[in-house]
Amino acid sequence: MQTSFRLLGSLALTLALAACAPQDPHQKVSAALASNVLLPAYHGWSEANRTLEQSARAFCAGEQDLTQARQHFSAAQSAWAALQPLAVGPLSEGNRAWQVQFWPDKKNLVGRQVERLVQSNPQLDAAALGKASVVVQGLSAYEYLLFDPALDLADDSQKARYCPMLQAIASHQRGLADEVLNLWEGEQGMAAMLRSTPNTRYPDGREALGELLRTQVSALDGLKKKLGTPLGRQSKGVAQPFQAEAWRSKASLANLAAALASAEQVWRGNDDNGVRSLPGAQHQNLVKRIDEAFSDTRKRLAAQQRPLGEALADPAAREELDALYDSLDRLHRLHESELSRALEIPLGFNAHDGD
Amino acid sequence: MQRRTFLSLGGALLAGSALAGWTLGRGDGGPLLLSARDDAQGGHHAVGYRLDGQRVFSCRVTERCHDVVPHPFLPLALFVGRRPSRESYLLDTRDGRLLQTLHSRQDRHFQGHAVFHRDGEYLYSTENDTREPGRGVIGVYRLEQNLLQHSGELSSHGVGPHQLLWMPDGDTLVIANGGIRTEADSRVEMNLDAMDASLVLLSRDGRLLSRERLAEQQNSVRHLAVARDGTVVSGQQYMGDGHEQAALLAIKRPGQAFRPFALGEAQRQAMNQYTASVAIHDELRLLALTAPRGNRFFIWNLDSETLLLDVPLADCAGVAATAEGFVVSSGQGRCRHYDCRSPSIRMRPLELPAGLWDNHLRLA
Repeated sequence: MQTSFRLLGSLALTLALAACAPQDPHQKVSAALASNVLLPAYHGWSEANRTLEQSARAFCAGEQDLTQARQHFSAAQSAWAALQPLAVGPLSEGNRAWQVQFWPDKKNLVGRQVERLVQSNPQLDAAALGKASVVVQGLSAYEYLLFDPALDLADDSQKARYCPMLQAIASHQRGLADEVLNLWEGEQGMAAMLRSTPNTRYPDGREALGELLRTQVSALDGLKKKLGTPLGRQSKGVAQPFQAEAWRSKASLANLAAALASAEQVWRGNDDNGVRSLPGAQHQNLVKRIDEAFSDTRKRLAAQQRPLGEALADPAAREELDALYDSLDRLHRLHESELSRALEIPLGFNAHDGD
Repeated sequence: MQRRTFLSLGGALLAGSALAGWTLGRGDGGPLLLSARDDAQGGHHAVGYRLDGQRVFSCRVTERCHDVVPHPFLPLALFVGRRPSRESYLLDTRDGRLLQTLHSRQDRHFQGHAVFHRDGEYLYSTENDTREPGRGVIGVYRLEQNLLQHSGELSSHGVGPHQLLWMPDGDTLVIANGGIRTEADSRVEMNLDAMDASLVLLSRDGRLLSRERLAEQQNSVRHLAVARDGTVVSGQQYMGDGHEQAALLAIKRPGQAFRPFALGEAQRQAMNQYTASVAIHDELRLLALTAPRGNRFFIWNLDSETLLLDVPLADCAGVAATAEGFVVSSGQGRCRHYDCRSPSIRMRPLELPAGLWDNHLRLA
């Protein structure tokens, strides 16, 4: 039996080597997306967090005003939102995503825990924050500090009270983004795993591509939840504006747009070398329908001029938001059922429907 | 049927199998991997493959199956219907021929797991009493002329029993009572605020020997592995909030209490409150676990409880011990073999069809 395993091993290696040859289309797409879409997005996130850390310091030293501090936060939040369809590997592991954003937050844990921590630890630093709950470590808590209606950091005494935490969060986020970027780069990094197989993570290009597609599908599903929750899809149609992601900074729809743009990049690649290039001639109708679905969702989203909270209160705008949700739903379903079938890439079911 | 008749029948089956070139030992392709698997269109199958990729059979079945129970010495296996299925399938593992569709009795459905007694005559299956939903029962079936006939019923002494296995004495059952009440034809949890999960030791005649619980009330005890020395390991699924801490892996060493396994915080968090299959390697004293929601596969030293392997594996599903280590299946990617004989564990992808493998696998 040992011998047969050894034989089997060399057979597996031969097949795997054949699979990584440049003509393997899955490998080609996975490599192109890693280099041209995913890695640049992780660089962008890391840079936005460096700027955020500088901004927190400058704001607390009186060198930046609240408006500027808010702008830098929004840039970091947008860079984070853009990573949702690209969250393969390190970001989806080790509890890291929770450390950046705590959503959904049904019980306002963010607000309550920030206040409790500021009370108990007025001189909080990044090291102490690292030991605290993930609820207060990320952008959700940072957003609370800069945007919550009950707070006003333009006021000097409040600024003095909350600034140690603001700086601690920004440092924690910068550290986290650097750590993730490190795990992407380098010879054994995530980008290398996606570029060339077999490796310790992926036995072949199909499996690497499969993980990219699965992340895309689950991100599209996540976008439905992010829009559907405030729309009341899980609460008998009663709108829930304060259950929206980023309701305090009024960036719910902007975050959706950033994530959707990344999802479209995964589909198209930077030079039609994305997932779109994979379905064969017999599936060109599906390709066309996915193109149209992206375009439809994008246009409906761009047509929303007001923040989500305001739109929810207006019956006409509410209808448009419902139509936007349906459009996202179509896009998600096209990926989940037809595209995965056309590419013969199983999305798996034990994780979603286990026992 | 007398025991002698049963054994001679088994003998007839064995003789037949020898003629067909089937041997009790393993063929050249290694052991036979048995599992439930879907096709790309969502159809359900009971399949058997050699580890070298050779397909022995693929039998289309109506209901999605969960665990597979090979007979201790005959070339048969029961593919157990996934809850709340009312059908399980008894197959000839030489060619995948369907010998019997076993229907659950009135007011009962299968919970996905069963075991054959070592004598090969009786099968024990976890079931739900749908007249009194959640009341766990163990259906007892007798194998007569390659057909399973219902012959009795025991209490599982708990709610929503899931996996059950034999203790090394071969006459004591260990049962994971998941603690969750579900109704007929439903998978919806009805009692999340009043769950009652437990680990039960039950003698074959139905006597309750022990019942132990973990600290967290919403922690569902689901899957089991038993070592040759009587060590029992259980994998849990936590039904409470995502950020709460629960013992997702627990252990009962011989003569000791049921308690949390020494799980690292990073590994616990990576599991996303959900474990799927557990397996023990007796010779190497290793414990393996799949966590499909966290997309991670783990191996620990069973004695020291130290972590040996923590790797990403998309939608990992079934796991079983091989001579050298473990074979693991996946709902999304390729099956892998982990050679654990040296300190640096070596992974090798197997030439089996990729993805769509269901929760559990067995090697026969």
